[in-house]
Amino acid sequence: MSLSLDDVRGIAEYARIALNADELTEMTSYLNDALERVLEPITHFELDGVVPVFHPIGDLSNVMRDDVPSNESLPIDVALQNTASQEDRFFRIPSILGNGGER
Amino acid sequence: MSAYIEDLDAALIAKAVKEGSISALEVAQASLDAIDKRDPQIHAFIQVTPELALKAAQDIDNARAQGKELPPLAGVPIAFKDNMHLIGSRTTCASHMLENYESVFTATAVQRMLDAGCVPVGKLNMDEFAFGSSTESSYFGHTCNPYDIERVPGGSSGGSAAAVASGMVPLTLGSDTGGSIRQPASFCGVVGFKPTYGMVSRYGIVAFGSSLDQVGPFGRSVHDVALAMNALAGRDERDCTSQPWNIDFTADLNSGVEGMKIGIVSSLNNAEGVEAEVVDAINKAAQNLTAAGAELVEVELPHAAAAIAAYYVLAPCEAFSNLARFDGVRYGHRPNDARDLADMTSRARAEGFGPEVKRRIMLGAHLLASGVYDKYYYPAQQVRALITEDYKKAYEQVDAILMPTSPHTAFKFGELSNPTQMYLSDMFTISLNIAGNAGISVPVGFGSASGLPIGAQLIGPAFQDHKLLRIAASLEASYEATQCAPGFTKKGGLLS
Repeated sequence: MSLSLDDVRGIAEYARIALNADELTEMTSYLNDALERVLEPITHFELDGVVPVFHPIGDLSNVMRDDVPSNESLPIDVALQNTASQEDRFFRIPSILGNGGER
Repeated sequence: MSAYIEDLDAALIAKAVKEGSISALEVAQASLDAIDKRDPQIHAFIQVTPELALKAAQDIDNARAQGKELPPLAGVPIAFKDNMHLIGSRTTCASHMLENYESVFTATAVQRMLDAGCVPVGKLNMDEFAFGSSTESSYFGHTCNPYDIERVPGGSSGGSAAAVASGMVPLTLGSDTGGSIRQPASFCGVVGFKPTYGMVSRYGIVAFGSSLDQVGPFGRSVHDVALAMNALAGRDERDCTSQPWNIDFTADLNSGVEGMKIGIVSSLNNAEGVEAEVVDAINKAAQNLTAAGAELVEVELPHAAAAIAAYYVLAPCEAFSNLARFDGVRYGHRPNDARDLADMTSRARAEGFGPEVKRRIMLGAHLLASGVYDKYYYPAQQVRALITEDYKKAYEQVDAILMPTSPHTAFKFGELSNPTQMYLSDMFTISLNIAGNAGISVPVGFGSASGLPIGAQLIGPAFQDHKLLRIAASLEASYEATQCAPGFTKKGGLLS
């Protein structure tokens, strides 16, 4: 079943990407094309009983360091270096619930 | 005294610097001059870092003057794909989102090349956030193929391949999530190596698909790539997937392929869409390996056809998750008149990301939604198990598998304008990212019809990378030594 414009509007909201009307139309067409032309074959395989793997090298385990706090972290001024807005030692953002502007 | 680095590989430069027949500073300046002269035409670089380069080169010359032992790649100019952090440079991922992002740390892979003596001359163009196969989606404009500037260099590490092919640097790093090192290497006629997943740390590389991403080198010879691997490989406690391998990748490089078995997948090599000149070049490569003493064995990869579908489920899902961090708060583009936090984030992403990035994120968001997950994502991970099993069975019979890197040579800008058509051209490179295997693209001459470079891909089992490089070196030896693209070579121009 194809995705509708409304479906795609919902996905965009969930993905936090503001799309205008033209972009929504184009994105709907793209998603349907990708699903039909590229992804659909995945639904045609006989996969009963196949145990999925989520890591490319299944028989190796992650290399973990000892579970002790690390002293390594970015100094505050460096961590703040790339933000568009900061105040004192903090990232500055607009109101979460909305009242306009950064506060 | 002037230096030309166009015809010099990394090994030769390091040797000359070590012997004192040229200084690291002269080499660095030659590389910067080459970039000045050539990059306006090629546009492989997003940023050139002369201050970092000259400082690193001076440090090497000082160390030599003090009688200190120089590291193995001392004085070799190198450049990094712009998704790799390097303090003193921006890391843009070729995106408006990160246009002004200053690196706040240095990636482990980058640091290891610097520790090996490499001199950082800049950051390289790529498809935005590594989503693409042509470098056309870069916010900063496309990179041109040095063999034909009307054609793409491949992608996503297009800048990394083009910089080596046009003689601006002998060595670069790229990253490969679905073919992003091997395919541009093939298009630009250079060697590109994707190591086994876990062989090289990804710490400090902007993540795309965390179960698929791997960092690797580009060079004009397998030997240079092996030298780079000596520096790159091994455990890094900052990347929990990195494994404690400590191998000299050059040790057996020239031991040949006598007695080895090379797998051929006839059904794949002759699949629909593979250009005749590519089939011919791969057949010739197979003959050359036979002449060198290897035995060809027909093998099957029955689920190879499912790899593209599985990849374009898994990679967008992982990308959706990884790119959630770009919310305009801590870094990246931010609109300055947002109503509230959600408005700020949605507009930061709408304005900061280009079309292909938005497509991949949207696809991933959809695929992970309740109800959709069971139809695509879970089966894709099951298919991943089948593909991995196929490779394991094949490796019981053979030491490596030979196939094309790409079904075609470099295409013209805009020629693959439909994104899904572009995805389907990744048919040979994608499956081994899914299985985590190592793969290398080796130049095997030029297309009889197009005259453009063709790469043969060799694929080997996990953590047998040194053996794969040995086979690649043997294949390479059956062709003329790889040069820069015509027009960028300085035959005979050397250290005088």
